[in-house]
Amino acid sequence: MIIKLLIGFFAGIISGFFSTGGGLILVPAYMYILKMNSKKARGTAIFCILPLVITSSIFYYKNNYINWKLATLCAIGGTIGGFIGAKILKKLPERILNITFAIFLIYVSYKMINS
Amino acid sequence: MIEILISLISGIISGTGMGGGTVLIFGLVFILGVNQHTAQATNLIFFIPTSIMAIIVNIKNKNVDLKTALIISTSGIIGALVGANFAIKTDVVILKKYFGFFLAIIAIHEIYRIFLMYIKQKNTNNKSILKKIFLNQGPSLMEIDENDEKNDKILKEEGVRK
Repeated sequence: MIIKLLIGFFAGIISGFFSTGGGLILVPAYMYILKMNSKKARGTAIFCILPLVITSSIFYYKNNYINWKLATLCAIGGTIGGFIGAKILKKLPERILNITFAIFLIYVSYKMINS
Repeated sequence: MIEILISLISGIISGTGMGGGTVLIFGLVFILGVNQHTAQATNLIFFIPTSIMAIIVNIKNKNVDLKTALIISTSGIIGALVGANFAIKTDVVILKKYFGFFLAIIAIHEIYRIFLMYIKQKNTNNKSILKKIFLNQGPSLMEIDENDEKNDKILKEEGVRK
């Protein structure tokens, strides 16, 4: 119980601070600490992240950081993209994607730290 | 138009189960020149409709552990309050740097996962490892996560057959 509360609190801080990454904390925590299988871990994580995202959205909203035009356009593109992504998931070469994603992350982190 | 293109790509990446949010934030900050706080706020709004779709599918497929979810969400909301409060008070330049460090940690984790997959496949067949990686054969990362023991068994059986 205490472990669960701590996992949630930590994921909440990351999710609130960076607005992303809650899942990157929760999925491994569910799998390795709470011993859930991968599917259930992913499903439960996305379910938990929604209230966290709504909570932090309120903060960003109150401080006028939300650009509604931009957000609406992105939400439209994102929903369509998510649908396409789920459909073509099995056809994509996952390994190449994973390696590309890792290289991409290194590049972005370098750019962010140096900007 | 560029906005839709960036979010479309992020959406596809989210759909494949990797961090779509990082791609979206990167695109907004470095291609459109949006400020880090606004990019993060946009990512939050972007997440809501995308995730609701995924949640409905997951509940239907019984992939949600509701009891755990309730406990995690409760303390998570408190954490999110703390985190978002800090983010808003943090200077843009510093927030960007923290974000960079955070991504570096994720990158290390991702490389570790790729390394695990490499080890798994090396155990199956030494010679065709590169071929396997690039032709997308053998067990995938997600499957390895899903059931390590089951995969071990399958790999062993394959080995015996060869």
